[in-house]
Amino acid sequence: MTTDDQPAAAGETLMAHTFALCAAARAAGLVVTQARAIDVFRALETVAWRNVDDYRLALRVNLVSSREDEILFEGVFRRYWGERSDEPSGDYILARSEFIAGTLPAGRSHEAHRDMLTETDAFAAEEVQRRANLALRWDADAPPLADVIRELARRLATRPSRRVAAGRHGGRVDLRRSIRRNVRHGLDLIELARVKPKVRKTRIVMLCDVSGSMDAFNPFLLQLMLGLQQVLKSSRTVVFSTRTTEITALLRRRSVPETLGEVADKVRHWSGGTDIGAALAELNRGLLREGSARGTVLIVISDGYDSGPEARIRAELEAAKRRVRTLVWINPMYGATTFTVRAAGMKAALPYVDHFLPAFNAQSLHTLVRALARLH
Amino acid sequence: MQPSHAWRHPFNRVEDVATVFDRADYVADRPLCLTTKLAFDLGKPVLLEGEAGVGKTEVAKVLAAVLDTPLIRLQCYEGLDAASTLYEWNYARQILEIRLAEADPSRRGALERSIFGEEFLFARPLLQAIRHPGPRPAVLLIDEVDRADEEFEAFLLEILSDFQVSVPELGTFTARQRPVVILTSNRTRELNDALKRRCLYLWIDYPTPDKEREIILRRVPGISAALAGAVAQVMQGLRAVDFYKRPGVAEALDWAQALLGLDIATIVPEVVLETAGVVLKYRDDIERLGTLDVGALIAGRAAETDAAAR
Repeated sequence: MTTDDQPAAAGETLMAHTFALCAAARAAGLVVTQARAIDVFRALETVAWRNVDDYRLALRVNLVSSREDEILFEGVFRRYWGERSDEPSGDYILARSEFIAGTLPAGRSHEAHRDMLTETDAFAAEEVQRRANLALRWDADAPPLADVIRELARRLATRPSRRVAAGRHGGRVDLRRSIRRNVRHGLDLIELARVKPKVRKTRIVMLCDVSGSMDAFNPFLLQLMLGLQQVLKSSRTVVFSTRTTEITALLRRRSVPETLGEVADKVRHWSGGTDIGAALAELNRGLLREGSARGTVLIVISDGYDSGPEARIRAELEAAKRRVRTLVWINPMYGATTFTVRAAGMKAALPYVDHFLPAFNAQSLHTLVRALARLH
Repeated sequence: MQPSHAWRHPFNRVEDVATVFDRADYVADRPLCLTTKLAFDLGKPVLLEGEAGVGKTEVAKVLAAVLDTPLIRLQCYEGLDAASTLYEWNYARQILEIRLAEADPSRRGALERSIFGEEFLFARPLLQAIRHPGPRPAVLLIDEVDRADEEFEAFLLEILSDFQVSVPELGTFTARQRPVVILTSNRTRELNDALKRRCLYLWIDYPTPDKEREIILRRVPGISAALAGAVAQVMQGLRAVDFYKRPGVAEALDWAQALLGLDIATIVPEVVLETAGVVLKYRDDIERLGTLDVGALIAGRAAETDAAAR
């Protein structure tokens, strides 16, 4: 239980293993800061680390900060002890016997580390089916969309906040400031300090269709995604084709080439088929889960060509509509003069859409956004 | 960082935590017990994430009960700000005091000092937790922290690192005995990384059928083992269905209680459909249940046929 009764050699082995595990966890993408590593060692002082189960947990609760991290860590831990099967008892016995023997086979941690790397490589190789070269689809000369997006956000995505700020007229009386102010000059409340609600930016969730049929509009799409993230930091961006991936964090990178590279790395289903229903279903159960979405503006960017059943799209859109405040659909195809509402997905969607914006480039979007004021 | 206190927590071994939870009829697994122990040892807050209704809040309640200390609860919501979590002045009393001073000129001189005294202060949860005299630490539950906005998280970060608050009129309060802090989140959004890094993290999953049965037996007095097992079984099946809101343990307990109250000893499909409102809270979900093979659900097989899935 305490370190006193454990031989010094075992203590050193433990330290070596723990350092190596921290390094492996860091290599696997966990945020292992100095402070966290120190806490790991502090934790080990107080738990019975001879019980490998406890040892693993003591490391885990300190090093992870999400469900995904937990799973990642479990994998790192298993691989570190050279265990590939999901069957847990084996590695515990192995690790345990190693602790008790108090020996660290030479080069052992590096070996495990190498295994881990090769395994990741194999995994990646499987996934590389299609890596879209997004850099080629980025139009660096296009007029910036930031202004249009800012305008769109102002028109659609502001509402009174529940937080307040000091104001001169109107609103509520702020007793705290009033008393503070008046006690200085006299005893009566002469001057009343007031507060007004702040204007709050609502969250925008953007759901972008990156299926093959949208390829022609990729420059516009990428511009919109990057622009929105810059203007509204709290917005979230999700792309879908047959699968759905949130790319918000990637869009927060500084440079455009870096962002495009990482998005291409992560979104392997770019230019795939379309399943709007599944994407909406995932959104309804995730980002737009009950309670969290009130006041959100959902922007769907899609041509509405869909392979999934229409009833599903309708049901999920209805559910989404009940969760969000405003549902906007931007359809680049609609801008074409020959276009009629043939796309099944689009037909199903129209009854639930608050604002339908047939825009295919910055110019057309600008015109439409300016027109919004009149509708609103 | 070591909390400065003479009080020594009673959990020498992980098993001690398990015993305590067990005595409070809370079925806790090893990760939770170990995390709790470390929270005391390291003086770090615990961040519990998990779906709604898996017993996150209950952890704090049980801890407060077994330590015999106050549970200070801060329910988070959008727009929550420092004033409503730290302190507020009692304006009505302040105004009254001003009036009294008007009537009695001798009180006037000290007025400013007196109306900003501690007796005019309403301590809100965070200040309460900081002012808790000890010797046993209070349990501070910051519930559903994902509902508060980002600005509040930053503020929370500051409080949780120092446990110190300064009230301009009164001076600085520093915690004599740092509270045990439990944060819960339903994960409707990701929390700030800095806040997460400061916490011990634990994801609480839906219980296994055996564990759920045990929970039902402990929490619903008078229920038979067979019915508890059957309820756990059906819940397990329901959670495999892609509902908008999957039922949690809280719903399982409600349902078990309801069945007991209705004097139902065995679960048949009609019973499930009639009492669906106890377990499923969305109309779409209840309709969906109607399309499923409830008989299979009760028998412990997957209820989803291909036709029902799409």
